[in-house]
Amino acid sequence: MNAYVITIATIIVINAITVSGLNVIVGYAGQISLGHAAFVGIGAYSAALLSTKAGLSFWSALPIVIAISGFIGLLLGLPSLRVKDDFLAITTIGINFIVEAIFLYIPFFGGALGIGGIPRIMLFGIKIKGLAFFLLCLIFLSLILFICWWFTRCWAGLASFAVREEESASSSMGISPMRFKLLAFVIGTAIAGLGGALYAHYMRFISASDFSFPVSISLLSMLVLGGMGNLWAPLIGALIIGSLPEIFRPLVNYRILFYTVLLLLMIRFQPGGLLGEESFARHALSSVLPRGKK
Amino acid sequence: MNTTLLQVKGLSKHFGGLKAVNNVDFELFSEEILGILGPNGAGKTVCFNLICGVYKPTSGEVRLDGQKINGLLPHEIASLGVGRTFQIVKPFSSLTVLENVLVARGITRYKSFSKIWSIWKSSAEKRAALQILEHVGLADLADRKAGLLPLGNLRRLEIARALVVGSRLILLDESFSGLRPEEVAKLEKLIQDIRRQGIAVLLIEHNVRVTMGICDRIVVLDHGRKIAEGKPESIQQDDSVIEAYLGRRRGVNAA
Repeated sequence: MNAYVITIATIIVINAITVSGLNVIVGYAGQISLGHAAFVGIGAYSAALLSTKAGLSFWSALPIVIAISGFIGLLLGLPSLRVKDDFLAITTIGINFIVEAIFLYIPFFGGALGIGGIPRIMLFGIKIKGLAFFLLCLIFLSLILFICWWFTRCWAGLASFAVREEESASSSMGISPMRFKLLAFVIGTAIAGLGGALYAHYMRFISASDFSFPVSISLLSMLVLGGMGNLWAPLIGALIIGSLPEIFRPLVNYRILFYTVLLLLMIRFQPGGLLGEESFARHALSSVLPRGKK
Repeated sequence: MNTTLLQVKGLSKHFGGLKAVNNVDFELFSEEILGILGPNGAGKTVCFNLICGVYKPTSGEVRLDGQKINGLLPHEIASLGVGRTFQIVKPFSSLTVLENVLVARGITRYKSFSKIWSIWKSSAEKRAALQILEHVGLADLADRKAGLLPLGNLRRLEIARALVVGSRLILLDESFSGLRPEEVAKLEKLIQDIRRQGIAVLLIEHNVRVTMGICDRIVVLDHGRKIAEGKPESIQQDDSVIEAYLGRRRGVNAA
């Protein structure tokens, strides 16, 4: 594998991690978020600052980074999750712009110059880069997928599904909707923080625009494309949206147009995403593998 | 039969100038089926929502086993063992029928932070949920998506969920509406069974025949006020009830 392919693959895997976090919030708990990039940014900036200014290693900073992202998720989730649907969408867009502006205008966060010189991740005294970094991300992705898989099978996950489906009915069954929305939001933003930390140590230079609103949209597009609420959707979505622009590189100027058309087609013909219940991909799969995966 | 389970005292709910529920008192004894009867807009569902914590009363109080429950949130009241159904059915559509019941079975866990991380997809849990579905006659549809069921089955699913939650009291909000006569008969039997298990039932009903047949006592509301209370036979004879409800309804039916 050449370096170019590894770079693309690494970014895809980091995006799959980040989108898995979004899936917990949007797919499992049904709370739309159009500001997920902000939490990736909070993770990335925490990791960058902790390693460049505080001199911590990636590994000792990681628990702090995840805790910070989850905690800020909790603080911002408390007021925003009081509103629903379109209003929540607008609120989360607002969060994205505010967080980006803070990174951009406060000198502590490097301002317009961003933060550079982020050290590489060290493991057993070896600098992790290239293929090794890709594998490290893959390990983190498997860990996150396991956590998400567990979430769908534990009572907290079932409660979140109930809140997503019918909030007032869920509360008549002893479920506090606010509590489980917040729980999903904190898990989702903590996972975004991990994705951000990996991103920061991979790029080794970050700036506010890496976590702007269009990034949130593209993360959400990956999820919608894969199929909200499906465990594997983030990986499929990240894979397709991450690799298509590379395959169609000659069309680079029409990239946004391409995304738009793709999204519209998905919404029109496959609203459940590629892995959704009635999707053509699933039908094709089940005809190839009779009695295969459900 | 004579200990008071639910006590509603001077309950009022005003929406601006509209007195949806106005100074209503009644008591529900344990192991009793109490019906709330009244024409459209009488305040029955509002009364229900006040008991369940969906609305906060303007004044008055609701006590369950002597403990004041008005002011608590819906999920807190549910976890005291009060199960309810909704007049407009609210299934968890994309979950299966079995999973719908499993959500209700989690009621003992949702309050604790440590108990919510264990797995719900266990065979023991499934068996227990299936037993409840058998009780309401939905066992053969257990793996069907709830959103695909017809109304009669959805009403039964609502009752199945309420049965799991309601260890003390079950509130049924027009569970008979839109059902075919044979479904009504089945549901009547189910409600009698519930009472035999020692659970009190409070039901809102439009259908006079059903209410008269099944309830031990009836409270009649009209324009937010209680106009009568008593045994079905005495309600049938009550002049104000006939005037406010039965008389008019007969007129409507005849027309």
